[in-house]
Amino acid sequence: MAKILEVREVQKSYQIGKIVVPALRGVSFDVEEGEVLAIFGPSGSGKSTLLHLMGGLDRPDSGEIVVDGDSLQKLPDDALAELRLSKIGFVFQFFNLLPRLTALRNVELPLTIAGTPEKQGLEKAASLLKLMGLEARMHHRPFELSGGEQQRVAMARALVNNPKIVLADEPTGNLDTKTGWEIVQLMQKLNKEKGQTFVIITHDPHVAETADRMIFLKDGLVEAVKEAPRRNTQ
Amino acid sequence: MKISRIISIAWENMKQRRLRTSFTTLGVVIGITAIIGLASLGEGFRLEIRDRMQQGFELDILIVIPGSFTTGLGEFEPQEVSRVRNVSGAASVTPLITLPRTRLLNEEDEPLNALTVAGVNFKEMAQMLPERLAPLEGSVPSPEENNTVVLGYKACFLNESTRLVNVGDNVTVQFGAAPYNVTKKLKVAAILEKSGTSGITNFDYWAFMPANTTFNLVKREVYNIILVKVADIEESEEVGRNVEAVFDNPYSVSVLVPLAFMRQVDRILNIVQIFLMSIASISLLVAGIGIMNIMTVSVMERTREIGILKAIGAKSRTVLTMFLAEAMLIGLIGGLIGMLTGYGISYGFAYGLSNLIQSQQSSEVAYRTQNPERLSINPVFSPEWTVIAFVFAIVICVVFGLYPARKAAKLDPVNALRYE
Repeated sequence: MAKILEVREVQKSYQIGKIVVPALRGVSFDVEEGEVLAIFGPSGSGKSTLLHLMGGLDRPDSGEIVVDGDSLQKLPDDALAELRLSKIGFVFQFFNLLPRLTALRNVELPLTIAGTPEKQGLEKAASLLKLMGLEARMHHRPFELSGGEQQRVAMARALVNNPKIVLADEPTGNLDTKTGWEIVQLMQKLNKEKGQTFVIITHDPHVAETADRMIFLKDGLVEAVKEAPRRNTQ
Repeated sequence: MKISRIISIAWENMKQRRLRTSFTTLGVVIGITAIIGLASLGEGFRLEIRDRMQQGFELDILIVIPGSFTTGLGEFEPQEVSRVRNVSGAASVTPLITLPRTRLLNEEDEPLNALTVAGVNFKEMAQMLPERLAPLEGSVPSPEENNTVVLGYKACFLNESTRLVNVGDNVTVQFGAAPYNVTKKLKVAAILEKSGTSGITNFDYWAFMPANTTFNLVKREVYNIILVKVADIEESEEVGRNVEAVFDNPYSVSVLVPLAFMRQVDRILNIVQIFLMSIASISLLVAGIGIMNIMTVSVMERTREIGILKAIGAKSRTVLTMFLAEAMLIGLIGGLIGMLTGYGISYGFAYGLSNLIQSQQSSEVAYRTQNPERLSINPVFSPEWTVIAFVFAIVICVVFGLYPARKAAKLDPVNALRYE
């Protein structure tokens, strides 16, 4: 399988006041096209920092990140935005939907930014919401939706631009166990049926175990990589 | 991202915060109202003053007087008058002589209300100023009819009800100081229509006699005013210079060019207007600062939203444009409303001011004029000023929106996403 994302010796530290806190201390791994990769670790292990770096939201202090052949260090800010728009989909713990937009408009937003004609964009957004089982909730605003529904809208938004890779940051972290599980199943389904690549960041071992591969992150270092036979989630 | 979509998103954002947007826009509305109002009232005021002055002056008539204010006033010899007649650009020329220390008495030896007594060529004067020399009673005599007099309307009245003289009456002219004065009997040939306006060609208090009769009184043929009607009003100043050039000594003549005076007054009024408008512009600046303030707060409130937009691929430029579009829309809407309220307010003000002026004026002019021409100010809307004010509103909003918009555009997406 082709490598869709490469992380090479990535280091990142934060300055809090006068203290420099290392978040990542030389992390390397690859993401294969079509796999579901879980990055698992306790809080403070550097998971979120890693996800931000992989998604081009932030830049590493040293090391290299290559997404679909593009080394992110070399890209100016605008090109990074372009890359986020066309190749990466984000799913966040707190959904991060725009509160004043309907579900449909939230999903359409990346297409709007990309300059897709409105009619075409809305059709695409609607078809994805249908796929997520939200046909009846399209014209509701986020506050009228349950947590699970909001996360499915966020998932639709992440997928709307046909990204190479979806980066999910604790996608079940703000949901009850049952709903969280539904989201995990949804990702599995999209992976199986559409070959969508997922990187899921989680501190929940049950979620992590559903992945093809699991990377244990601890204190900013990769402690172990575990190839897991995928659990049957059906 | 298409600009039309950015604008429609900005519009949606503003609609979401209706009250706040309204208050921000109000500042712009007030600024533009002030500018449009002052511009249109100022322009109306300027035109009214210009009209007034045009009524007082015959703008196409230059007044040539001998001497100057510094060297003292002299006299014109007949040959000097002939030279002025040949000046290029002069359509017609007529000389006058005004007599100092001269009184007119009616048949009962009561003095007439003639403040200025002048010797003129009636034919030339009537041609040059037909409206000013229109007779109410009698007829203006030919130049050959010596020993006649034409009286201005008010010269014939002591007050509104007491008439001093009628056409056909004899009047006595007393010239010079007693006991050396010369007297002469003249017949009233005509009484002129009331001219009503103020200014130097208001002949209401004048008495005119044929120039020859005057020469008999002063024993010489001299003049002390030459009126020059110019062929083209725009060349007034040039004709004025031509007249001056006829005289050897530049101090021996003064040419009053009403147009030049008018232009100067116009220039002064223009400066006053621009000054007033720059004061009005300050209110627009204040509105701009209000926009900056509100938008900065708005950027803070929407930090997380900006972070989301950036995370899903919006470029900094897109975020910048989004906020600038909001500022621009505020300017656009504020400008449009301000234009309308500016028009409305200037009509209201003009109405109020005109009424105020008229109520003050009517007591003063009731006696003097039959049909008092009342000063009224009508706002004049110049398309240029309207466009300038409108563009200014948008520019101010965009300029002041730039700081918060840049702040939004520069937000770091990771920090913005974490913002609570």
